Amino acid sequence: MKSRNRINLFQQAAESAGAVVYHCQDVNDAAAYIAEHAGGALLYAPNDSLEQLGFSPALSRSEVSLLEMTSRLDAADAVAGLTGSNYGLAETGTVVIDSTAELVRLASTLPERHFVVLDPQAILLGQQEAGQALRDLQHQQPADYLSYITGPSRTADIERVLTIGVHGPCELYILLLSAVAQPEKGVSS
Amino acid sequence: MSKTRTQQYKQDVNEALNTSRLNDALHRFGDAYLEARQRAFAELDFEQLRTDIAEMKDRVLTSRASLREQFIREARAAGATVFLAADAEEANRYITDLAKANCVRKVVKSKSMVSEEIHLNKALENAGVQAVETDLGEWIIQLANQRPSHMVMPAIHMFRDQVAELFSAETGKTESDDIKHLVDVARRQLRREYLDADMGISGANFAIADSGTFGLVTNEGNARLVTTLPKIHVALIGMEKLVPTMDDALKIIQVLPRNATGQAITSYVTWIRGAVPCGDVNKELHIVLLDNGREKLAESKTCKDALRCVRCGACANVCPVYQSVGGHVFGHTYIGAIGIILTAFYDGLDKAAELVKACIGCRACVSVCPSKIDLEEIILQLRQQVQEEEGMGLGKSLLFRKVMRNRRLFHALLRSGAKLQKPVTGGSRTIRHLPLFFSSLTEWRSLPALAPEPLRDLMPKQQQKIGRQRYRVALFGGCSSDFIYPELGLDLLKVLNHFGVEVYFPEKQNCCGIPALYSGDRETAQEMARQNVAALLEDQPDYVLTTCPTCTMSLQRDSVELLAGEPQFHAQAQQLASITYDVSRFLHDVLQVDISQLKTLPGDDGDPLKVTYHDSCHLKRGAGVWQQPRQLLQNSGHEVVEMSHADRCCGFGGSYSFTGHPDIANAILADKLNDIKHSGVQCVAMDCPGCMMQIGGGLDHAGSPVRTAHTITLLAETLE
Ligand code: SF4
Ligand code: SF4
Repeated sequence: MKSRNRINLFQQAAESAGAVVYHCQDVNDAAAYIAEHAGGALLYAPNDSLEQLGFSPALSRSEVSLLEMTSRLDAADAVAGLTGSNYGLAETGTVVIDSTAELVRLASTLPERHFVVLDPQAILLGQQEAGQALRDLQHQQPADYLSYITGPSRTADIERVLTIGVHGPCELYILLLSAVAQPEKGVSS
Repeated sequence: MSKTRTQQYKQDVNEALNTSRLNDALHRFGDAYLEARQRAFAELDFEQLRTDIAEMKDRVLTSRASLREQFIREARAAGATVFLAADAEEANRYITDLAKANCVRKVVKSKSMVSEEIHLNKALENAGVQAVETDLGEWIIQLANQRPSHMVMPAIHMFRDQVAELFSAETGKTESDDIKHLVDVARRQLRREYLDADMGISGANFAIADSGTFGLVTNEGNARLVTTLPKIHVALIGMEKLVPTMDDALKIIQVLPRNATGQAITSYVTWIRGAVPCGDVNKELHIVLLDNGREKLAESKTCKDALRCVRCGACANVCPVYQSVGGHVFGHTYIGAIGIILTAFYDGLDKAAELVKACIGCRACVSVCPSKIDLEEIILQLRQQVQEEEGMGLGKSLLFRKVMRNRRLFHALLRSGAKLQKPVTGGSRTIRHLPLFFSSLTEWRSLPALAPEPLRDLMPKQQQKIGRQRYRVALFGGCSSDFIYPELGLDLLKVLNHFGVEVYFPEKQNCCGIPALYSGDRETAQEMARQNVAALLEDQPDYVLTTCPTCTMSLQRDSVELLAGEPQFHAQAQQLASITYDVSRFLHDVLQVDISQLKTLPGDDGDPLKVTYHDSCHLKRGAGVWQQPRQLLQNSGHEVVEMSHADRCCGFGGSYSFTGHPDIANAILADKLNDIKHSGVQCVAMDCPGCMMQIGGGLDHAGSPVRTAHTITLLAETLE
């Protein structure tokens, strides 16, 4: 499948799972988008590729207020979280994130909004391709915690009525920005 | 003792049947589920996927010991501590000791059926540790002090007003019953618990042997918090969750969410390998691998397939008994068909005894199981075990052993029954009221009377007019066609003669043996199988035909299995199985009749007769026949209108609707009658005398003008 089609398929599936997909022009555009939608303090979980793209300076130039943390539990005060990602899965609109670094997990579980940066070139088709990708991500560190995230947190536990945002993020924003993922390196914090 | 238990169970059943709000909700859920599931699988080959999963799981079963070792080795290498727990007590002790050693006061838990199985919360409480469930459904039932009634949606039996009441008690404020609001309350209340907790406990959906990884498939995001925030993480994993590789786990992921909730994938899938960072140190990860009856199950020749289960909950979703009484009555810790089986192994056969008898045997569960488990067959095996241990009651046992095995006696009794029933029937073919203590049997359906002359006496008197003869076939009547609806045999004769087939009735045939088998009397069933194999093959017919799918299943499947240990009969049973057909399939597939030569009688209004078709469980899901009768009816000029849930059980189930669970049978029938009514037809067609008894009796009792007819009868009428 052509990469454009794959991106379209990804976007469709992600949107139907309730995510917002935004095509960023560059890192400043991404930072501005985050600033506009964060709604409060942002917990930034940096990794090598995000840093190479210049997210730290872009964020400080933007209007966004970055969360100051003195202990890990301060993460609970974040309103939004920003993480990178390693792959996308087109068929389901899933982002695959190496979440071994604790900050990545805190930024993607506690806040109400989660912004994920994804390189459109890293979008794979589906579960068939995911196996190899997951194996590549594993064993780069002594232990690992990998996440598939598809849309916001949801429940249907009361009368089977689908309700968004029970424990995890209520809003998931996928920011497509080229040359972000470095799967061969994984995420280092 | 078993008598009191049965009475208690029937009381629970009645209470549940009277909770109409719950029944409605489960019916609506069942409908929505089927639609969502169909959409989710639209572009996938479900049969292929489930065959693959079953094969993979079977490989796991054979090499479970080495896979377990591999998993433990890999998980330890990544920094996890692994503990093998032989039973619930060992698992609970390990976890409570761990909590005590680390001065844990509070534990947050994400959903784990295994923890329900071992009653971990109770054990923690006894050790002075507070356990907080964080899955919304689990939290609700924890607050309500109940147990889950569904494996995927534990609080499916509760309603918003009840939840609002529970939450109000928790927050000390009056919470509105708006669902979004209630979900927000849960988010707020539980958020603090994650931050306060010293230990997180999760389950797992897979344990991947070649990397020591385990996987969690979730929607709410609570499992991610539970496995991230507290410093200690305990993953409680049933031994059956082992798979060889990541690719095997991904294969299950393709099917599990689709089959559970109709989602292509859940919001979160989390893969954890080893002790990951937690603040400045690494997390303390403990994996408790639980046996608790699983090894015993693996060793059971007849039940081991149950270990393939991936816990999607689908077998409950489609089960008419579950929809009628809910998971608290049709389940123990685990719910629905798989729940019955696991209960027998994890909690003991006595805990499962009432449950195995409450299954009506419709095989709806089998058709949706993504691990291709023949749940109904396993439940049947367990029912036999229960009967062996508890006996089946003197009356039944006398009937099967002394009467039915002796064909002459059995048939003589049926003949005198036909004469003796006169006072109740007044000579009519239906019984609308039975006197005295039998009266409850006709409270909700009328019953057919025994025919004045059985088919076995009528057949030899028939003139057979055959043009160019194509085949000579033996008719297997089966008790209900022989003694209650002999006209089915005569209709069959007429239609087949028309297409050049001679039909004869082997005199020495007996009951097919299913009533005995389903009541747990295997020996009688074996004796019947021997008698029938000999009787039916004696005159070397080209084919053996039936008008009853239960008989078909018995001859095609059960006889072969029952006689497997008897070389002189086994080969014959196999031969018999290969030439046995139900009449619709024979007409359609073997004779390939051009049915349009038959002329259709129009309905009262001159238009073609509007017919809806009811699929009998044993015909559709036992023999795989459902298109053929529809095609025959359509080609013979009937207008076939599909009703909703055409293949849902009618609630007959043989003795189930008489002595087993008549109340559940009645509830299931009510659903069927409702669907028939809404289809707006003049006639409901089917290929099973049992269904005719149930549906016909129900329609008659309700005074409905809709006629009940066997497909062969409708075809015979077009020959007039
Ligand atoms: S066979 Fe039918 S009644 Fe029995 S468990 Fe399966 S679905 Fe339920
Ligand atoms: S037995 Fe089959 S249908 Fe039932 S929960 Fe297990 S996998 Fe699902």
